[in-house]
Amino acid sequence: MHIPDGFLSSGVTIATWTMAAAGVGVALKAERADPHAMPAGVLGAVAAFLFATQMINLPVAPGVSGHLVGAALAAALLGPWRALIAMTVVLVIQAFLFQDGGIGALGANIVDMGLAAVAAGYALPALVARRSHSPRAFTMATVAGAFAATLAAASLAAVWLGLSGLYPLGGLLQVMLTTHSFIGVLEAALTGAVLVTVLRWRPDLVRGLPASGAVAHPGATVLGVVAIALALAAFASPFASTWPDGLAHAAARLGFANRATTAWPAPLAGYAAPFAASARWATALAGITGTAAVTGVAWIISRGLKADSHG
Amino acid sequence: MADTSSRPGVVLGIGLAVVAAAALAPAGLGGRPIPPWSWAVWAAAYAAGIWMFRRGGFVAAEGVRRTMWLLPVVLVFTVPAALLAPAESRARVAAALAARALAAAAAGAALAAWLGPAGLVRGARQLGAPERLADVLEATLVSLVNVLRQAKAMLRAREARRTAFGAWSDLAASPAESVRGFGRLVGALLLRSLERAEALERARRARGIG
Repeated sequence: MHIPDGFLSSGVTIATWTMAAAGVGVALKAERADPHAMPAGVLGAVAAFLFATQMINLPVAPGVSGHLVGAALAAALLGPWRALIAMTVVLVIQAFLFQDGGIGALGANIVDMGLAAVAAGYALPALVARRSHSPRAFTMATVAGAFAATLAAASLAAVWLGLSGLYPLGGLLQVMLTTHSFIGVLEAALTGAVLVTVLRWRPDLVRGLPASGAVAHPGATVLGVVAIALALAAFASPFASTWPDGLAHAAARLGFANRATTAWPAPLAGYAAPFAASARWATALAGITGTAAVTGVAWIISRGLKADSHG
Repeated sequence: MADTSSRPGVVLGIGLAVVAAAALAPAGLGGRPIPPWSWAVWAAAYAAGIWMFRRGGFVAAEGVRRTMWLLPVVLVFTVPAALLAPAESRARVAAALAARALAAAAAGAALAAWLGPAGLVRGARQLGAPERLADVLEATLVSLVNVLRQAKAMLRAREARRTAFGAWSDLAASPAESVRGFGRLVGALLLRSLERAEALERARRARGIG
C-alpha cells in the first residue's frame, strides 16, 4: 500500500502533503495539551514495535504474505493523536532508510496509513465505548476498526493514483478493494490477537480506550467516520447511478477518459470470483465476505478474552 | 551508513529538493507530452544520487547496485500504467515513468545513505521540524535496533519449536491457532519493548535527565 516516488501528479503531491502536515500538526498540538504526558522514549518504542511488526510476514496465499500495518492497534494502545505521530515516524523511517514508499509520496502515505487508517481504526471503538465499556466490546470494535482502516487506506491510495492519471479510478478502486478485503481480514485478526494478549497481561498499556461514556477525541472520531464512509462509498460506487458521472467528469478533465472505458480487462478477470457475473459484483462479494469473516474473527478472538477474564 | 555531513540540514534540504524535482517532472500521464527537460532532470537526479552514495562512503558501482534493487517496485507500478497508455505512446510513457520513479527513489536512497539515521534526525531538527516529532523519531531509531534484535530472536525460537515445516503448514492445519500464536508473539514483543523503554525512562529520571 506504500506509494513509491514518481507516480503522483504535482497537484496530488501538494494536496496530500498539505493534508498530512495539517493532520500531524493537529496531532502534535492535541498531544501537547494531553495532561497525561508520554515520554518520547516510550512513544518511540511503540513506533519501533510497529515498524518491527510490519517486517514479520505471515503467509496468506501461495506465494503471497501479509503483515500487520498496525494503525488500529496503535490507536487502541496510544489514542488517535499519538498513534498518528507514531505512524508518521514509522512511515518516515520506511521512506528514508528502507525506500518502502517514496519521500515525495510521503504525504500521501501519511494521509492513507496514518491519518485515515488511524481515524477509522479509532472511530469504531470510540463509538462503541459510549454504549459499553467492556474489554470484549472494545476488542470486537477494534477488530472491526482494523478492517475498516485497511479499506479506508486502500481506497485513498487508489484515489491518489487515479487522480494522478496513472490508472482509471473506477477500475483501480475495484481492484484495490477486492484485494484489500482479504488483506483487511488478516489485519483485523492479527490486531485482535495482539490486543487480546496485551489486555491479558498489561491492560494498563491500552490507553486508547476512552475512560468515560462520552466520545473521547471527537475530532478524530468524526474523521474516522468520514474515512469509513469513504470506504463504504467506494464499495458502492460501481452501483451508484450518480457516481460514474462524477468519475467520468474527473477522467475527462484529467485526460484519460478514453482509456477509462477499456479499463482493467485482464486484472479484474483474475480477481473476480468465477461465479460472479461482473467485476463490480466480485468487489461487492469480496466486501461482504470480508465483513462476515471479520465479524466471525472478532467474535472468536473476543471469546478468548472472556474465557480468560473468567478463568 | 555513516553521518558524514557536517551540515545535515543543508544536505537534507538540497536532497529533498532533488527528490521533489525528479518526482514531479512531467512524465506523460493523462496523455500530456513529455518535455525534453524532464529527461535532463531525471538524469541529473540519478547522477546526484550516485554522487551522494559516494559521499556516503559507497563506491559508484555499489550505488548503482543499490538503486537497481528499487527496480521491481518501480516496474510494478510502471507496467500497468504503460499498458493503459495509448498504443503509440506506450513505450515512451513506460520509459518516462520508470526513469522518473527510479531517479527519485535513487536520490532518496542516496540521501539517506549519506546522512545516516543520526544525520537524518539532526537534519530534520536543523530544518525546523517540530521538536516532539524529531524527539520521537530519534527515540524510535534508538529503540529499533533492540526491537528488531528481540523480534529476530523470538522468531528464531518460534521456528525451533515448530513441529510442521513449510510456509503453509501451520496456517493450513490450524488457522485460528496460527493467528493466535502470532498474536502472542507480537504481543510479547510489544510488552518487552515497552517495559525496556519504561525502565530506560525511569533510569533517565533517576539520573535527573529529561
